[in-house]
Amino acid sequence: MKKPTSKKPSARAVLARLFGPSAKGIAIEKSVVTGYATVGGAKVCVIGTCDGTYIDNEAALRLAAHVIQCIDRQPKTPIVMLVDSAGQEPNRVAEMLGLASYFGHLLSCLELARRKGHTLITVATGQAVGGAFLCYGMFADRIYALASASVGLMPISAMSAVTKIPASVLQKLSKTMPSLEFGAEPFALLGGVEEVWSATDDVQAKLAQAIATSTPEDNRAELGKKRGGRKLALDIRKKVLAESAR
Amino acid sequence: MSGALFHEQTARQRIAALADAGSFVELLPPPERITSPYLAQLGIPVSFDDGLVIGHAKIGGKKIYLAAQVGQFVGGAVGEIHGAKLTGLFKAAARDKLPCVLIIESGGVRLHEGSAGEIAIAETMRAIFECRALKVPTIAVIATDIGAYGGIGILSTCCDFRIMTEHGRLGISGPIVIEKWMGKKAYDSANRALVWKTSGGKTKYLLGDADALVHDTSEAVRDGIAKLLAKSSAVSLASVKARQKDLEKRLKRFGATEDPDAVWKSMGVRNIEAASLASGPEFAALAKRGK
Repeated sequence: MKKPTSKKPSARAVLARLFGPSAKGIAIEKSVVTGYATVGGAKVCVIGTCDGTYIDNEAALRLAAHVIQCIDRQPKTPIVMLVDSAGQEPNRVAEMLGLASYFGHLLSCLELARRKGHTLITVATGQAVGGAFLCYGMFADRIYALASASVGLMPISAMSAVTKIPASVLQKLSKTMPSLEFGAEPFALLGGVEEVWSATDDVQAKLAQAIATSTPEDNRAELGKKRGGRKLALDIRKKVLAESAR
Repeated sequence: MSGALFHEQTARQRIAALADAGSFVELLPPPERITSPYLAQLGIPVSFDDGLVIGHAKIGGKKIYLAAQVGQFVGGAVGEIHGAKLTGLFKAAARDKLPCVLIIESGGVRLHEGSAGEIAIAETMRAIFECRALKVPTIAVIATDIGAYGGIGILSTCCDFRIMTEHGRLGISGPIVIEKWMGKKAYDSANRALVWKTSGGKTKYLLGDADALVHDTSEAVRDGIAKLLAKSSAVSLASVKARQKDLEKRLKRFGATEDPDAVWKSMGVRNIEAASLASGPEFAALAKRGK
C-alpha cells in the first residue's frame, strides 16, 4: 500500500475538492485549466495550470483568451486562478518570440478584468514558483495556498546552488528570515499569501468566503509587516511617498 | 555628458545626463544608508542605495519620476528594499499623476533575499497598472547587456512603453541558464550574435515588443523618453483583443523558427549584414516595423 503522504492528488481531485460537482465544467488540456464552475452557488471563471507543468507562450495565450472571453461574455464574474507550474522552461525560441511579452499580455488581460469589476482570487494548488507565479497568480486581489503547495522563489538547495552560499548557512538564516524559507507558511508570513488552507479545511466554503471578502487593494506589504515576515517593505514605500510629497 | 555612450554610464551618470541640469532630487539618497539586512547577515557588501537610484527630475521642463537600477550591484537584482523603493516610486507617480521612467539593469529577483524580492516585483506590477489606469505614462528603458531579465523582464512588459538600444536585452531566462538546460548545441551562450538576435533590442523592436529603438547615447535616450511623456497606452478590451491576435500570429509564424535571421528577414530586413551594423533609427529604417 502506498503511503498517502507521498501521493499527490490528481488535477481532477484538486478541482473536485475546490468546486465539487461543478468542476465538470472545467477543461484540462495540456495541463492548462480553463472553464467555469460554481462557488457558493455563484458562477466563477477558472483559469490555471496543473501537474506542475511549464508555462510557455501558448499556455499564456490560452489563459489570456479565456480571461478575454470571460470579460466579454460573463461580466463581473469572479475569476479563480489555480497555480501548479514549475515556471517557464528555459528555451531559446520562446525567448526570441518574447515570452516576457506573452506574460505581460496575460497580466494586462487580468488587469482589465479587475478594472471591469471581476474579483481575482488565486489558489496555489501545487508548485507556485518563479515566473509562473508572477505571470498571473501573484496578480490576484487575494492569494491563498493549499498547505501542500510549494510556494516561494525557490527551495534553499537551488538558492545555494546559484548564490554559492552553503545551504546550511541559508537554512540557519531562514529561521529568522522567512523570506529565505520555501513553502506556503513562510510565504504567508511575508504577506504573499492571505491564508493557508489545511487538508481538513472546507475549501469550498473558504473559497466562497475569499470571493465575498476580497477587495482590489494590494494588502501584501501591510500583511507582511503585521506578520513580521517582511518588516521593511511597507515603511520604505511610505518613506518614498512621504519624501516625494515634500 | 555630450556624446557619452549610455551603456558605459553608471546609474547616477545616466540620470544626470537625462534630466534637465540640476533638476534631479534623489529620494532615500545614500546618506540615509538604507541597506539590506539580508546581505549584511550573509556577509556580502551592502550598498547605501540598495542598487536603485530613485527621485524626481525634469526632462524638457516636464516633471517626472525617475529610477535607475545599478547593474554593478548584485546584478541590479531586486531585494526587499530595492523593490519597495520601486513600488513606492510608481505609487507616488500615480498619486501625483506624473510620468514614471525606469532605467532597467536587472537580472530579476535577488536570490539572496528569497521570496521578498519576488513579492516586491508583483507589488510594483500592481503599482504600474495603477498608473496606467490613470493614464499616467510608465516607460521602461532597456539599454545594457545586463538587460531586463527574470521578473524584471516581465515587469518591463507591464509598462506603457519600452525604449531599447541595440545593447539592451529583454527576456526571462538568460543565455547561460538556457544553455545549461537545453545544451550547448541548442544554445551556445558564447555565440554573441545569436544571443543578441535572441534577446537584443533589434529583434525586440522588429517584433514590436520595444516601442522605440534609439542610438546608444544619453541624448537619444532622452529624446526617446521626451517623445513618449505625453502618451499612454490604454488597457481596453479592444487593445487586449488586438494584442492577443498579434501574439497568436507571431507564435504561429515563428514558433518553429530556430534561425533568428529568418525572423529578421520575415520582418522586412533584407540585408542582414547591413542591419547588424546599423544603429537605432537607422536599423528601424532598414526594416518595416512588424505589426
